[in-house]
Amino acid sequence: MENLIEQLQPILKQVVGYIYPNEVELHWGILIVVYPYITGLVAGAFILASLERVFEVKEVQPTYRLSMLTALAFLIIAPLPLLAHLSYPERSIEIFLTPQLKSAMAMFGFVYAWYLMIVLMLEIWFDYRKDIVYWARSKKGWRKYMYYLLSLGSLDLSEKAIRFDRKAGKFITIIGIPSAFLLHGYVGFIFGSVKANPWWSSVLMPIVFLFSAIVSGIALMILIYGVTTLFRWKPIDMACMDKLASFLLYAMILDISLETLDFIHRMYESVESIHILGQLISQKLFISLVVIQILLGTLLPLGSLASVKLFRLPDELRRLIYFGAAILVQIGIFSTRWNVVIGGQLFSKSLRGLTHYKMELLGIEGLLISIALLFLPLFVLYIIIKILPPWPEAATTPLSSIAKESSQ
Amino acid sequence: MLNFRFRPELRMPGWKSIPFPDQIKRLLIIFIILVIMLITVRNYLMPPTFVKEGHYRAAAIDSILALPIHYAGQEACSECHDEYVALKQTSYHQNVACEVCHGPGANHVEDPSENTPSAPRQRGLCPLCHIYNASKPTGFPQINIVTHNPLEPCMSCHEPHDPKPPQPPEECGACHGEIARTKAVSHHAALECTQCHSAPEAHKKDPRSFRPSKPRKRTFCGGCHGENAESAGEIPRVDLQSHEPDHACWQCHYPHYPEVR
Repeated sequence: MENLIEQLQPILKQVVGYIYPNEVELHWGILIVVYPYITGLVAGAFILASLERVFEVKEVQPTYRLSMLTALAFLIIAPLPLLAHLSYPERSIEIFLTPQLKSAMAMFGFVYAWYLMIVLMLEIWFDYRKDIVYWARSKKGWRKYMYYLLSLGSLDLSEKAIRFDRKAGKFITIIGIPSAFLLHGYVGFIFGSVKANPWWSSVLMPIVFLFSAIVSGIALMILIYGVTTLFRWKPIDMACMDKLASFLLYAMILDISLETLDFIHRMYESVESIHILGQLISQKLFISLVVIQILLGTLLPLGSLASVKLFRLPDELRRLIYFGAAILVQIGIFSTRWNVVIGGQLFSKSLRGLTHYKMELLGIEGLLISIALLFLPLFVLYIIIKILPPWPEAATTPLSSIAKESSQ
Repeated sequence: MLNFRFRPELRMPGWKSIPFPDQIKRLLIIFIILVIMLITVRNYLMPPTFVKEGHYRAAAIDSILALPIHYAGQEACSECHDEYVALKQTSYHQNVACEVCHGPGANHVEDPSENTPSAPRQRGLCPLCHIYNASKPTGFPQINIVTHNPLEPCMSCHEPHDPKPPQPPEECGACHGEIARTKAVSHHAALECTQCHSAPEAHKKDPRSFRPSKPRKRTFCGGCHGENAESAGEIPRVDLQSHEPDHACWQCHYPHYPEVR
């Protein structure tokens, strides 16, 4: 008890107005900020990949496979913040064993499993199958067996089989788009459905989450595509970068319109919570919402991306602007998640006071773990890329020769 | 090193006769294996009494029943301490259970001589409920612990089982502290509460049953602030006929802090 009081003492000094006793300490900390941020990147990267596959935007083709693998790497890490937050990772299997259909939170396991197993894994498998078979034949040692296992023994490379792969891949992408909407819309739903919290409770929440996910996913792919191309000493495909930046700009315009609509709607409704939410924004979230999310994370990149459209700029400068905008967008979207998750817990249900969030540094709910979780997907992506290289030169399958061989 | 060649003849007999593409057949096998694994694991790991009564482990009720009981309940207290329970029953504390102040008493009921419940006598306990807080209802007795008989244990004036004060408060501010402090810095600071309210004497002893009066008409404020009112010259005047005739005065002027906000 004394420990708890000692721990809460510095927060109590920053409490403003009247709050209930159980509202001093926030229950959802930075780990729960990281979770929607990472799932947003998954959904965004996948939707970008589907642009090439379903809508046949040829310019973004160089990022297609990379986006799929990025989505997979981030999806593998997505549940880790939740497991770390809940503290009993060994119990996570129970949500699958005893599914509770009435609980939105308990359904996460199924939304996740569907997206991972049915959408991402299958699409990647169908897309890579001919390359996997090629690698299974051309590699030596244990790699040969690994690729054989990955091919599931399906080694048919006849034209018919490859045509089926392509069709199946497209079909899964078409299922995948609503699934990606479902995955991230679901995360928004978790917050939007909390009736008692006026900062969260909004039917627009899943939609706003989704569009900010698309924004963050495209920005992430600009960064990952740019960095990986530079490290491979290859020229950056500027047509691809320009297209990515255009999509980023359009997605941001949609995103900011939706958020403005939400804001105007709240202002017009002016329900009794409007005063405390006004205080929340002007006192506790001023830096993270007004300065970081709106000015640095939205208006500045929006302006710089729009300026590229208006003026003819040299490639080098355009690349720098795209990189800068993508980094700012990442910071902005992270603070969007912060403002939703942390902001929603900073005001009292009495609507008469504000509490304060004090982040740990070293604990399991702390800053260091969160930074590690944010960088872990990049490490996973590195391993996946080693196994399934997405580069055009790695997939130089002499298809005709293999097809000939298998038809013999 | 093994150099495998994957020949169609290595496949299961009748593989080709299944009318699905090769890839789908293989994926289906993996999927079926996963589903069988899930069902098997579920059979082993799911507690046997789960879903028997609902979406929980029915046997959990027995394990909860087996937990030690800490609280005895007020009826157990009245068996031996009926005089205190009876006194409390007539007092403002009638809805406060004995164990709220004395702590869990199940072990005291079991062995009264061995286990004595706590009887807090320090000043710290009572303010847990009675410290001044703007969100509490106005009639609820609240004190400022810094100014209210400093260092004096509460029990020296208030018997906890019948906590009404030994003498009724003389000033309204003893209970209506927030109003008193607000009024003290307003233009109405010099006015007595009785200028606008009349409180029956019984209000001091039973504040919720005997409530003080409140002015209900514009003309009451007009008694001082009307154009023709007989009051000191520096008091602001309005023409009651033309000054916001559709509103009551206190819709814009909070009487305890009457400056327009």
